[in-house]
Amino acid sequence: MPPFQSNTNILSLTEDLLVRIYEILVSESDRKSFRLACREFLRIDSLTRKHLRILRIEFLPVLLHKYPRLQSLDLSACPRIEDGVVSLLLSQVGPASNSLRFGNWTRGLKSLVLSRATGLRFSGLEMLARACPCLESVDVSYCCGFGDREAAALSFAVGLRELNMDKCLGLTDVGLAKIAVGCLKLEKLSLKWCMEITDLGVDLLCKKCVDLKYLDVSYLKVTNESLHSIASLLKLEVLGLMACPLIDDVGLQFIERGCPLLKAIDVSRCQGLSSSGLMFVVRGHGNLLELNAGYCLSELSTALLHQIKNLKHLEVVRIDGARIPESSFQVISANCKSLVEIGVSKCVGVTNMGLMRLVSGCINLRVLNLTCCHSITDAAVSAIANSCRNLVCLKLESCNMITEKGLCQLGSFCLLLEEIDLTDCCGVNDKGLEYLSRCSELSCLKLGLCTNVSDKGLSYISSNCKKIHELDLYRCTGIGDDGLDALSSGCKELKKLNLSYCNEVSDRGLGYIGRLEELCDLEMRALNKITGVGLESVAAGCKRLADLDLKHCEKVDDLGFWALAYYSRNLRQINLSYCAISDMALCLVMGNLTRLQEAKLVHLCNVTVEGFELALRACCVRIKKVKLLATLRFMLSAEILETLHARGCIIRWD
Amino acid sequence: MDHKDRQETCFTNFSTQNQQKWEFPDPLTELLQASKAQDWDPAAMLNNLSFLEQKIHQLQGLVHLIIGRRDRVSGQVQPYELVAQQQQLVTADLTSIIVQLISTAGSLLPYVKHTQGAPSLSLGQFQPQNGGVSGGGGGGSGASELQNSVDVSTNEEHDLKDEEDGEELGENLFPGTYEILQLEKEEILAPHTHFCTICGKGFKRDANLRMHMRGHGDEYKTPAALAKPNKESSSEPALIKRYSCPFAGCKRNKDHRNFRPLKTILCVKNHYRRTHCDKSYTCSRCNTKKFSVMADLKTHEKHCGKDKWLCSCGTTFSRKDKLFGHIALFQGHTPAIPLDDTKGSTGTCDPGNDSEATNKLGSMNMFNFSSSEDVKGSMEDPSGCFSPLNFETCNFGGFHEFPRPPFDDSESSLAFLLSGSCGYTNKSGEQ
Repeated sequence: MPPFQSNTNILSLTEDLLVRIYEILVSESDRKSFRLACREFLRIDSLTRKHLRILRIEFLPVLLHKYPRLQSLDLSACPRIEDGVVSLLLSQVGPASNSLRFGNWTRGLKSLVLSRATGLRFSGLEMLARACPCLESVDVSYCCGFGDREAAALSFAVGLRELNMDKCLGLTDVGLAKIAVGCLKLEKLSLKWCMEITDLGVDLLCKKCVDLKYLDVSYLKVTNESLHSIASLLKLEVLGLMACPLIDDVGLQFIERGCPLLKAIDVSRCQGLSSSGLMFVVRGHGNLLELNAGYCLSELSTALLHQIKNLKHLEVVRIDGARIPESSFQVISANCKSLVEIGVSKCVGVTNMGLMRLVSGCINLRVLNLTCCHSITDAAVSAIANSCRNLVCLKLESCNMITEKGLCQLGSFCLLLEEIDLTDCCGVNDKGLEYLSRCSELSCLKLGLCTNVSDKGLSYISSNCKKIHELDLYRCTGIGDDGLDALSSGCKELKKLNLSYCNEVSDRGLGYIGRLEELCDLEMRALNKITGVGLESVAAGCKRLADLDLKHCEKVDDLGFWALAYYSRNLRQINLSYCAISDMALCLVMGNLTRLQEAKLVHLCNVTVEGFELALRACCVRIKKVKLLATLRFMLSAEILETLHARGCIIRWD
Repeated sequence: MDHKDRQETCFTNFSTQNQQKWEFPDPLTELLQASKAQDWDPAAMLNNLSFLEQKIHQLQGLVHLIIGRRDRVSGQVQPYELVAQQQQLVTADLTSIIVQLISTAGSLLPYVKHTQGAPSLSLGQFQPQNGGVSGGGGGGSGASELQNSVDVSTNEEHDLKDEEDGEELGENLFPGTYEILQLEKEEILAPHTHFCTICGKGFKRDANLRMHMRGHGDEYKTPAALAKPNKESSSEPALIKRYSCPFAGCKRNKDHRNFRPLKTILCVKNHYRRTHCDKSYTCSRCNTKKFSVMADLKTHEKHCGKDKWLCSCGTTFSRKDKLFGHIALFQGHTPAIPLDDTKGSTGTCDPGNDSEATNKLGSMNMFNFSSSEDVKGSMEDPSGCFSPLNFETCNFGGFHEFPRPPFDDSESSLAFLLSGSCGYTNKSGEQ
């Protein structure tokens, strides 16, 4: 402890008390202020920090050295995670003695997020798996190059409990078998889109990893055989079977008799299923909490309804896309009292009367999805608002008949509302937004295609809903620079903003946008009034900008792109299609933005083949995905294409 | 009549076997037809006629024998099986004689044979048998011979893998009821057993030698010369021949306590090679499997490479589900990943080097080795050699995006990998 402090100073507190104070701080910005306060606080921060999400790999060695108690490391946001980097990290840190070969940081590490680390291959993974003895959770989702060898390398992490391998396209049954045999303690496994996995792999998995509690085999070409194997998992609680086209009712019969602890099942988009299959599941599992059957039923049959009625603990039910008889709502309302979420989007037969009956019983509803239920009016919304005071999320996309009256009720009663989707609700106007702005917890507001909304409405929202994180103003042609002025002064926490096709927005408006320091995702397609000046103010102001879409912003000149290349060091994705960017500016953008991972570069009329070549060479070590015109395929040098391929970069030829 | 039925079945069996035995049946028949059609030889015809006569006598004797048997059967009590066996032998003999009669009679009419397809075919097929049974007297011995020759021909043709063992199932001979022959080691291992007396060329099969002989002159083209010679004169008492392996201590050696004889010479050859010789034929595909009998190698090569499902324990499977069943059964076993998978990602593997692909330990080692290679490979930063403008350095004020590691580092990490790879020794280079 620093000896020079007087007793009244906060620094006289002992270390453990300071740690406790630090732990109360939840938000990342608060912690940042804390550690910037003084050296002692900085020390506390580095001693207690457990989680690290890194944006730039070049700082990683220093940071790893700084935080010895790290438990969780997220590398998904930074480019250039490769075998060489991993070996360097493992060899640089720590003293030279053999026992501490890998340094300190790996010893306590429990969780590793390597999502989209396409450059990482089996040797790097094996090094990591061997170096981290306590590793419990690994996320390698969307690593397209992840195959059987990588799975074999990962299977050295014998203590693994959670593993996410979504979209590991190269993974086959052999790799899964490696994991299943190596990681016997596995409890949570996600295999979405691992298209090569078959019944054999699933069967072996179920035989070896008997502790599985969570299993997601969505989108796989598995058959009823797999369900037969899965049914033998005694501890399974959550089962994801989304869009498995080959399973049918017979398979669900196995589930009826197996998986005694099943709590949640997702069979949405399974084309082979019918009501009777679901009846098996419901009959066998009276304690089911979550049933997701969206887009797999043509109709909610009476027989199934009477089975669902027995699910006294059911909290979540989604039957999107089905035809629902009006009487069904009465039955659900009377029996499923603990229902928290109901999804009936695109359902035929959802009426005002039905919804009124539903909410009369299910007063604990927090999430309600009524997307494309065209026939509902303000009456239904009023009933919902009156009954469900705890409503958090309401989706009303394409409910054309909603007007300010409904929003008035919501603004009066649903004060906990955090998310509302009013896309394509042309009845929404400034008055409606004024009512809605009373929901001060609102964090996500979608107003796409609401052409009746103007700057005035936006200013109501801005002044009252300070917590807005996400705002969608797609094709809100009534929005202009003044609205953005109000927005930028009110919603300081805005992270995601869509301004596409808001034609009135000019450089002045973008100047206001530049005041949003938290903004990380900005979509502003086809803003034909903005120029390089506007882009410069955005780039200079929004330091956190990670995702930028400038498609069809044809008046933006090189000045803007130069600024972008200079300021937006955190940019991760960019869409420059149809922009008037020059060779030089493109090279600068692609070469200078060292976090850039994905770029869409089609129809750049001012860029020559040499420009593309140089730009790609400048970024080839880190780019993961690039979209180019198909004609370039034969014009670019084979050398650069090979390099990109070897680095795990995916090129989409348009 | 069921007699006729049996005849027909025997006929078909016989014809197929004969067809198989002759390696070039079609040229032979053509040749025979040609010679017959062109020069009508009265001497040959006489020969054939006397042959017919002989056959008819034989046939008569056989029928007498049958009558005698029937009487005896009715008179004294004999085990039913024995009677049946004898009857079968007699019928077989009868069949063969009748077949030969027909074919020979057919050969007397060359112009008929010319126009009709079917008799000519049967002539070609049965011609070789003519001389063989011509001297045959005793019905019983002829029958056993016939059976023997049939056995040999099938064995020769199919190279049955289990012929040594399979033979025991059907046979239950008492010691002393058969003659034991023992060939010398050199004789067994000799590549050729039949030699041309004129040019000295060696052949594995007598039939091939006889085919060869035709080239040495017309005298070898006669049906008698081309016919299969009968090794022992049929007048000798019928003693079944069995063979003993010359290797002392072998179960197939006649001095062994539980001696089990080998049925044919081919059995002896295969047995001796398989059991007492080096396995000198190596599969060129997998470079692992070795065989001492060429036929075994060929059988293996038909399947080699199809067993692509490999377990970490070294067991291979032709089907994926069998491998997964195996893995489910044994703890700790995992599927081995074929090496070709790494071609795309590392590029360090030599696809042409098949020996490493199948050698399990080798592949494990390879795995580690290539991984360390890859580490070194990716250390090289293409931005250094590519990026012509080098924005990164200029904008970061000399800060290189990622420091290039000193060579020592990658070396030491490689050393760790090798030391940590469970002590697998480098076997990939061997064999």
